[in-house]
Amino acid sequence: MAEGSIFRVFVFALRLVRRAKKMRVFAVLSLLPVLLAVILRLNAVASPGRGLDGLAVFGNIIVAFGLQFLVLILALFYGTSVVSEEIEGKTLTYLTIRPLPKKAVILGKYAASALVLLVLVLGSTLASFFILNLGRLDYGPAWSFLGKSLAALALGVLGYTAFFTFIGTFLKKSVLFGFFFSFGWENIVQYFPGSTQKLTLMHYLKSILPGVGETSPSVLQFLMFRLDPSPAPLAVAVLLGLTAVFLALACRVFSRKEYLFEE
Amino acid sequence: MSLVLKAEKIGKWYGNVLGLSDVTIEIGPGITGLLGPNGAGKSTLLKLLTGQLRPSIGRLTVDGRPVWNNTALFRRIGFCPEQDAFYDEVTGDEFLTGLLRLHGYAEAEARRRAGRALEIVELAGGGDRLIRGYSRGMRQRIKIAQAIAHEPEVLILDEPLSGLDPLSKRKIIRLIKDYRSEGRTVVVSSHVLPEIEALTRSIVLIHQGKILAQGDIPYIRELIDAHPHVVAVRSADPRRLGSLLVADRAVQSVSYGPEENLVTFETRQRDRFFDLLPRVVAESGLDLEEITSPDDNLQAVFDYLVGK
Repeated sequence: MAEGSIFRVFVFALRLVRRAKKMRVFAVLSLLPVLLAVILRLNAVASPGRGLDGLAVFGNIIVAFGLQFLVLILALFYGTSVVSEEIEGKTLTYLTIRPLPKKAVILGKYAASALVLLVLVLGSTLASFFILNLGRLDYGPAWSFLGKSLAALALGVLGYTAFFTFIGTFLKKSVLFGFFFSFGWENIVQYFPGSTQKLTLMHYLKSILPGVGETSPSVLQFLMFRLDPSPAPLAVAVLLGLTAVFLALACRVFSRKEYLFEE
Repeated sequence: MSLVLKAEKIGKWYGNVLGLSDVTIEIGPGITGLLGPNGAGKSTLLKLLTGQLRPSIGRLTVDGRPVWNNTALFRRIGFCPEQDAFYDEVTGDEFLTGLLRLHGYAEAEARRRAGRALEIVELAGGGDRLIRGYSRGMRQRIKIAQAIAHEPEVLILDEPLSGLDPLSKRKIIRLIKDYRSEGRTVVVSSHVLPEIEALTRSIVLIHQGKILAQGDIPYIRELIDAHPHVVAVRSADPRRLGSLLVADRAVQSVSYGPEENLVTFETRQRDRFFDLLPRVVAESGLDLEEITSPDDNLQAVFDYLVGK
């Protein structure tokens, strides 16, 4: 019953998410790593003497752009919009006068946003990996690196989108708060020594990425900057648990709160 | 088939601001007009009836069951909200089909119902166009279509005639009346008396969050007629016009000025006065430049009813 309602909202929301104008902007943003990979590959072809460490570049793209920027910005705009966009656009009424449990609205819309973001982020990551590592695809650790990177990005999308969905259910200025959270808290506290960094989602995401000795030093140096990693299975469990908690909180708030539109 | 909407001593506050106070009302089959000036509390009452808001106090039921978070009830209620808001990037057909799918209808059934609703609101030709390209009248009609597409037993319409041209208004009035004739309960809000008069004889007057009066049109008309209406007329010869009308019992007082061509009448028999005026003007050959009734609006009536 509830699953059917969630699926129906998911299908309805998926169409809206795909058609939204912001989708084009974020699709272009997601393709930037692919563009960079193409430029570097062409440069390597044009200057055969200068080698391209595709895996190192890929690692930097994953951490510096993928995890610490793309996932955050996409999750911020799509997560907060699950509820706040409906309030700002005054369209929420069309959903809340249907015979649907309110949690179905949250979960269905969240699932639609998360699916679109996963396609954008993982698609772009896969494309840039293959472009950067052409000719080196038989290197075993590269595949392990790719798998862990995709897992970290996917869990990042799910976790952050759930968090921002929750924030969007009760904060009017949820995007502004989200910016401070993403580029303040998450991007600073993750570098704090000791266990303080464990108060960020980013700590657990980075803990999933390859550890020392698994790949080339240039990648490791960047990834391990002040990171005191948690065990990967624990990191995955924490991220999945937090995603579930954020979604449960979002459903709870949304079911109890009355939403008023600005005149 | 028809449901009864029942509010018992309900109140609603937005923080310290009063939205509704001590409202007790029972609405059954047929069309009920909810009439009141802007900010009177009409939309608040309708949002409470459709579960958008929760009463601060009191009990609100549809068919004996509380409305808030009662999702099963929404199969039986259709709501046309006041705000001109849509998912602009979908077509009218997609909008309706998508919302019907949320009701649990299979794709084919949702399409059939969407097509029928578009036909009813005379938008069948525009169903494949993006809503963002719709005119105001079309937007208002697609909003009504989403409210009736699942054939609810209760239809609640918040200012459905607002901002429409006369032709579109007529179409929507006919549509609402047709819906009523199928034995359903319809609640329509408006701040314009003639709009409500065109729809129903049963009205509820609401003002400053309270129900002021409830009854049929003649009763409300009586209340309104007990209130002296002021009618200002600009004429080349205002004194002659005044002298011709003052003898009739419809005219309570006549005054002149402040402008030279202005005469102001006070009447308690508004209809009689407006029958008399054109007849006298035609017979006397006087020229009229302008007729205005500065207090011929609901606000004046409400002010009168609350004793301001």
